[in-house]
Amino acid sequence: MTSRRAGVGLLGFVAVAALCAPVLAPNPPDVPFPDRAYAPPMHVHVLAAGGLHAPFIFAQTLHDRLMREYRDDASVRHTLHWFSRGRLVSLGDDDGPLLLLGADALGRDVFARLLYGARVSLGVAALGVAGALARGTAAGGLAGSLGGAVDLALMWMADLVVVLPGAYLVLVLRGALPLRLSTGAVFWLMAALFAASAWPHVARGVRAIVAAERARDYAEAARAAGAGPLRLIGHLLPAARGFLGVETVLLLPSLLVAEATISVLGLGFPGPSPSWGGMLQEATNVSVLAGAPWLLAPAAALCVVALAVHLAAGRPMLTSSRS
Amino acid sequence: MTSGGLATFVVRRLAAAMALVAVVSVGALLLVRLAPGDATTDLVLAHVDEATIARTRARLGLDRPFLVELGDWLAGVAHLDLGESSAFGRPVADLVGERVLKTAELASLALVLAVALGLPLGVLTGSRPGGLFASCVAPISIGILSCPPIVGAFGLMLLALGTGWLSIAPGDPVVPALALALPLAATIERVQSQATAEVLAAPGAGAAAARGLPPWRLLWVHAARQAVRPLLGVAGVIVGTLFSGSLAVEWVTSWPGLGRLLYDGIVGRDPFLVAGCALSGAVLIAAANLAGDLARGLADPRVRVS
Amino acid sequence: MPIKRLPVIATVVAVAAAIFFVWRQAGPGPHGRASAPASGGELVATMRTEPKSFDRLVSSRSAEELLSRLTQAPLVRVNRLTGQVEPWLASSWTTSADGLTWTFKLREGVTFSDGAPFTAADVVFTFDALYDPKVGSEEASSLRIHDQPISVRAVDDHTVVLGFPSAFGPGISLLDSLPMLPRHKLQDALAAGRFADAWSVTTPPAEIVGLGPFALSEYRPGERLVLVRNPHYWRRDADGRALPYLDRLDLDIVPEQDAELLRLQSGQADLTTSEVRPEDLAVLKPLADAGRVQLVTAGVSTSPDCLWFNLTPGAAVAKTRPWLQAVELRRAISLAVDRDAIVNTVFLGAAEPVWSPVTPSHGEWYLPDQPHPARDLAEARRLLASIGLTDRHGDGLLEDAADRPARFSLLTQKGHSLRERTAAMLQEQLKQIGLTVDVVAVDPQTIIARYTDRSYDAIYFVAPSDSIDPARNLDFWMSRGAFHYWNASQASPATAWEATMDDLMRRQSTSLDPAERRRLFAEVQRTLSTELPVICFAAPRITIAMSARVRGATPSVLPPLVLWNADTLSVAPGRGASRP
Repeated sequence: MTSRRAGVGLLGFVAVAALCAPVLAPNPPDVPFPDRAYAPPMHVHVLAAGGLHAPFIFAQTLHDRLMREYRDDASVRHTLHWFSRGRLVSLGDDDGPLLLLGADALGRDVFARLLYGARVSLGVAALGVAGALARGTAAGGLAGSLGGAVDLALMWMADLVVVLPGAYLVLVLRGALPLRLSTGAVFWLMAALFAASAWPHVARGVRAIVAAERARDYAEAARAAGAGPLRLIGHLLPAARGFLGVETVLLLPSLLVAEATISVLGLGFPGPSPSWGGMLQEATNVSVLAGAPWLLAPAAALCVVALAVHLAAGRPMLTSSRS
Repeated sequence: MTSGGLATFVVRRLAAAMALVAVVSVGALLLVRLAPGDATTDLVLAHVDEATIARTRARLGLDRPFLVELGDWLAGVAHLDLGESSAFGRPVADLVGERVLKTAELASLALVLAVALGLPLGVLTGSRPGGLFASCVAPISIGILSCPPIVGAFGLMLLALGTGWLSIAPGDPVVPALALALPLAATIERVQSQATAEVLAAPGAGAAAARGLPPWRLLWVHAARQAVRPLLGVAGVIVGTLFSGSLAVEWVTSWPGLGRLLYDGIVGRDPFLVAGCALSGAVLIAAANLAGDLARGLADPRVRVS
Repeated sequence: MPIKRLPVIATVVAVAAAIFFVWRQAGPGPHGRASAPASGGELVATMRTEPKSFDRLVSSRSAEELLSRLTQAPLVRVNRLTGQVEPWLASSWTTSADGLTWTFKLREGVTFSDGAPFTAADVVFTFDALYDPKVGSEEASSLRIHDQPISVRAVDDHTVVLGFPSAFGPGISLLDSLPMLPRHKLQDALAAGRFADAWSVTTPPAEIVGLGPFALSEYRPGERLVLVRNPHYWRRDADGRALPYLDRLDLDIVPEQDAELLRLQSGQADLTTSEVRPEDLAVLKPLADAGRVQLVTAGVSTSPDCLWFNLTPGAAVAKTRPWLQAVELRRAISLAVDRDAIVNTVFLGAAEPVWSPVTPSHGEWYLPDQPHPARDLAEARRLLASIGLTDRHGDGLLEDAADRPARFSLLTQKGHSLRERTAAMLQEQLKQIGLTVDVVAVDPQTIIARYTDRSYDAIYFVAPSDSIDPARNLDFWMSRGAFHYWNASQASPATAWEATMDDLMRRQSTSLDPAERRRLFAEVQRTLSTELPVICFAAPRITIAMSARVRGATPSVLPPLVLWNADTLSVAPGRGASRP
């Protein structure tokens, strides 16, 4: 089970990093640094002429603005400052910003935006996934075990959710809501929208599993023993545990993309507060992607999170709750 | 399943499908009404004067009360006339028809590629969950899934451009189909892997092995058939979404499919186009779900389909 | 032995032939060997949207406008480079002293693409269709002079007389956007009231008859339009050769700018619709240096993005924030913004700082001696204090007398990276003088809807105009105009300075003396820079990318950027993208 612990540990690490963003990030996330648009990541060195040094970087200078070319000045060294001004690591006041993952189109620190953005994006995605799983399991469980009219009605609603042009719903919401929305308001709204739109996939899968389980001997036995419908569902649901684990891994990236899509339609996180979906949306430009791949950091971070969830979900265990 | 039971099943599902189509279309028309702006909004940008805009609105029928518009549209649907698109200046039925064919072409190719790739891989990784093969394939699947579709599509285009192995000529479906197929293959692989591992861990599989069933037969015939169940359960949603067109891929590769059509309808605030796309999406997904459920019933005759 | 030497000789010959063919295929670089344009060849251009109609009078969006320029022809044409009116279908004209009557002599021997002769009757028919209320043409409003239609009368087969309802400064340059339509094809439809549907996109291409250099040959919905040379095209080049040089022009429909760029890079397209973005230049410059792509800078944009506030008197948004409509706020903002930082960061240096919507590309209309105040944060704070906004809590943020924060929302276009980034920079920079700006990025439809409802604080956007003559853009300058951004469609001017601007613009648009018009417009610009109803920050330099094959291109800053003179475009001999 080491891989399981590794997964949980990784998730914990990500959560802690996100929560401690103000300390871990070398710079504020919304400040555009002059002459740093599309700046590449700075390399931290410890070796210099004469052996080991305290970690430092070479000064980064803008060589050609239009060509987005930067050079490292090997003659100027800036040592990293630790635990100064409330931040774990940063550069001195006159040394410019420390750009561990480079800068975005406006010269803002990508690493800082990644950390601060993790709070909103992962939070919204976690909430959305939880909501979708809960709703989908409930609907799928009921549909699969009860069958008949309940099944038809619930699956019909699932289809409705999939087919209805959600984009229009978002547009209508955008029009109806006041122009200025707080980050918190957008957070809860987005989580609700995710949960409401992602459950059909879960429901269908759970329904299929539960329907198959229902026909098995132990389920017949339970029914014969007089178990009511809810209790029956309680017996049948654990069979879907593995599927739900996979669904979590599948849903996380798609919710991140949904975040980007919703923000295109105008309901995204407002203004300077960064979010992974917003960062990816700004980076979606083929000339930029080829030349500034560090802008895809949120996608890489998401991959790590999804892998962690996959590991934490563990290998499919013997579904031995049935006996 | 008796044939009478099957007939009832199909009839009930058809009724449900028609209800779905009706609700979705009405809902789409209503939403377009409520959203700010209408089809004449971008005329304002072109400095067209108010009198002409009012006339255009009247000509497009945008100034009718909602119920009248709905009634006219429903009456048209009965003759398969889905109204005229304000964004394209052509009948919606023609537009949707053309695009459905193009989307179907792409979706079928993508589906075949995805299933051919994902299903066997999923069975293999599921058969040995902790093994080397699974440890390599699973992160790759997750990596592909974590990639936003538009980034994946661009990545493929850049790859094709750089290496020249694939053609990105305008009419060629290979690159867009790949862009659609890869994430889908990853999804299929993940779901199938999980389900296969579960089936193999169940007592039934152990019993079958004890009876002397050869391992390959156990895996590919016995286990795979059972494990495909949850996949078929979500097949409806998968196929439905696939055939509704993927906006990101169609945009990047400029494939004229349904996804782009719906997007154009949304941006152009085109009520009949959006309703028409929603309607066709509803039909497709209902059909796909029906097929998925029937297939599930066939795969496992113990399932009582109601 | 002779036979053994044969393979060697054969190899040498083969290698030499291969080298020769490769050298031939490589084609000439941007400064090609050929001086005279080659006739024949195909050009592939991309466009973002498809046309809703093949009739420019019915629908006048960019796709229809481009198609109309390629397949139809106007009476006179405005040369995009010189700004002068050129004879086109009309070979010469005279005007009365008061500028109200214009007599045009039409070119002789001109026929439509189906062979039918072009006569004055077609001109009269076009104007009839234009102003016909049943047609509801979108083009009509830009062809009215002070809201009155132009009268037209045919004297004989090759002479028409146009009557202007009032003196009009720009003169006949407004006829540049009116294509002459074939009476013999559309007369019945107009009489029956079916004109709007006569040339819908389902019309067979052979029916679309025109006087332009190309004729529509095929329309594949969602994919492309194919145009072929019009054999009856009337124009010839200076050497007497028949125009257009190109045999075929494909317009591929590519909805995404990145996809257009990829097509250009891979050689699938020769020309894209719009100018390149600043971040694309890092990719295109190396290609240009390698000779595969040409980059041409056409000049500074003529319609920079503007920031404006809702100055409607009594607007709901200003009820609790009267300072929102004060001129001191706008002056403070204009002083506080670091335009150089915007030029360097958002545009990567490929732009010029501007203070008003009239840029150097407006030619003779641009007033070069305008004061351009340098950035002055202290003065900005002083101006804000004078309208009651001071820092009452020492936190660097301003509040008004009732201790409400100095905060407003700024609407801008989602998905337009330049506008979004500029808005983000404005937000950051105005924080330094204590103003809190909430940037709300929404789709353009929502912006227009809020603009029309007047339910916004401030907007950062633009409506591009297709002419640099200000009298062609009265919707913006006059207070009763629908695009008088800050307070549109006023019944009578709400402020004294708007009344002054109205008067100046009215005189400017009715005067026939170019010097007088320039003098009046200079006054307008001075008023604008004092009252600052719109504030501009940077105007991008328009750079156009095309493949190395394209010859004879003279890009302009006004759309269509390159295809405005499609009849003199040619391609270098050699392979292009193979087309089915």
